[in-house]
Amino acid sequence: MATMTNRKWYTGMLSQEDWWAVWMGLFFFGLGLLTCFNIDVIGWVTYPTKWVFSPPEGGKGAISSAFYALGKKYAYDPDAKAFYKGLGWWSIIWTYVALTVVTTVGAACMKWDVKKFVQGWTVLFFLTIAVWFVGHHAFFAATIINKHKYGLDFSLSLGGGASFILALIVGLIIGNFFKGFAGFLSEAAKPEWYIKTAIVFLGVKVGYLPIKAAATSMKLGKQVAGLTGDLFFAGAVATIVAYMVFWPGVYVISRKIFKLPRKTAAVLGSGISICGVSAAVATGGAVRAKPVVSIMVSALVVIWAVIELIILPGVFTHIWPGTSDPLVAGSAMGMAVKTDGADAAAGELLDEFLRTKIATETNGAVQWPEGIITTSAVMTKIWIDMFIGLWAFVLAMVWVYKIDRRPGETVPASEVWHRFPKFVLGYFAAWWIYLAIFFGPGHAGAAEGMTLLKMAKAGAVPVEKGLRKLFFMLTFMSLGVITDFKKLKEAQFGKMVWVYFVALFLFIIPVAVIIAYLFHHGMEIPNMAG
Amino acid sequence: MNLDCVLRHDGRNWVAEGRELSVAAPTLEELDQRLAERLRSSGQLAPGKRLQVFMAFDNSTIPQWIRQYAQHYFNRIVTVTG
Repeated sequence: MATMTNRKWYTGMLSQEDWWAVWMGLFFFGLGLLTCFNIDVIGWVTYPTKWVFSPPEGGKGAISSAFYALGKKYAYDPDAKAFYKGLGWWSIIWTYVALTVVTTVGAACMKWDVKKFVQGWTVLFFLTIAVWFVGHHAFFAATIINKHKYGLDFSLSLGGGASFILALIVGLIIGNFFKGFAGFLSEAAKPEWYIKTAIVFLGVKVGYLPIKAAATSMKLGKQVAGLTGDLFFAGAVATIVAYMVFWPGVYVISRKIFKLPRKTAAVLGSGISICGVSAAVATGGAVRAKPVVSIMVSALVVIWAVIELIILPGVFTHIWPGTSDPLVAGSAMGMAVKTDGADAAAGELLDEFLRTKIATETNGAVQWPEGIITTSAVMTKIWIDMFIGLWAFVLAMVWVYKIDRRPGETVPASEVWHRFPKFVLGYFAAWWIYLAIFFGPGHAGAAEGMTLLKMAKAGAVPVEKGLRKLFFMLTFMSLGVITDFKKLKEAQFGKMVWVYFVALFLFIIPVAVIIAYLFHHGMEIPNMAG
Repeated sequence: MNLDCVLRHDGRNWVAEGRELSVAAPTLEELDQRLAERLRSSGQLAPGKRLQVFMAFDNSTIPQWIRQYAQHYFNRIVTVTG
């Protein structure tokens, strides 16, 4: 039987999802960068726009233009722009073909069942596109400011968040009521792969934000660059909180109140308080627990993370912190929601909700750039993710040398690297390369750099807007498909379900909000409306 | 490293497998003891000598749906004395 072991530092570069998120993310990032040399091979990326069945005369929302290639709007080269303008709905097929080729190569390298993957991927892709389309009906997505353009007197003002909610609902219906269909999709329903790729695309977004802001003013461009830097450093505090406050707290709750065995408490403590499944697996390995312990905790984490994803964006938007402290809300999300997929998805949903809310509250006078709130949620999480290897290494040494005291056993230092989340390499590479373009040949938005920045924009937008959102949609759909709430009822989880409930709602979420407030309160998102 | 093997868990026992070697035990402590005994009896570990064994965990033990979240369980190095 073939084995899967991590022996060398480069093991898994072609066979693990984590690395494939880097390759896929950087491949499209690289295609986007070519526009800096006036080569536009990325403008085909499809994107939806709001629509209605009967657009008012002179208004917006024709179904015929509900999907368009982003190059139609953002290409720098006039010939490319004209070509992409002609694609319209066909941009969906272009996007499908391009993504199918790349994801299938990845699936083959990872030794998945390629036939089953392609079948599942195809259905998942078009189902996601269909939900994206429905979610952009102006009734769901239009705001109080622009609903009249679509001939509507009332709209739900959910912005792009409507599509995400619908994708999750459709996925959950499939995962809970059509289990045979969910099984058919399972080879392609990989929320962590999609979200890690989307996070690499988010790196493009974070690097591109100053370029976008510079189009308004050079000062605003620098202000946005400074804010993303502040988020990077403020996010580091999450690491201290997760490892030094959350973990001991949950461990004590598990041991003292619920009397769980030591190893189970350690694995559960990491799953609930650090970064979900990856922490549960890393800790299980560190304390040398039987794999079944990590597997059980992981199953629990995945379900609870989706419950958090459903509840928290609405709570943070409409109860507190709301629009008064959007980056506190984002950062708290990063600390509270486990698994990268659920956290980034919750951050994106929060981003949509809060931007729509502030625009509605101020009648359009305040427009926040999209992605900043998502970035605050993801940045916090990335810090937590990056330290899991180091944490598990320390825990392994404590367990092996002090608790179990196994004679003759040593913990290899290479464990730190094997547990390092590789996708963050793609995220930082994408972010810092666009930032280097902005501050380098882009002259930080000065007149002499604007031509290059406009060319860079043509390649960045299809990736950071089109592909990022599409991969978020795929994440929401896949999360729903793999989440079976019935598993919560399974007897063997027993006390663990209650430990999770108590620790999450009475300890982690309140503390996360307080800590986020202490370190992010007062950070302001620049107003793109001037 | 003197000896290289793959470590997995079959649901009941930890199993270490290498070239012409397969040892199983319910706990890692017992696994290490049995491994040392096997190495001594096969003549691979002379009296008074020390041997380092690298055990790389077989991640296919972890279900595929979890491997998208975490691709590594643990590797360990055990020094056995003859």
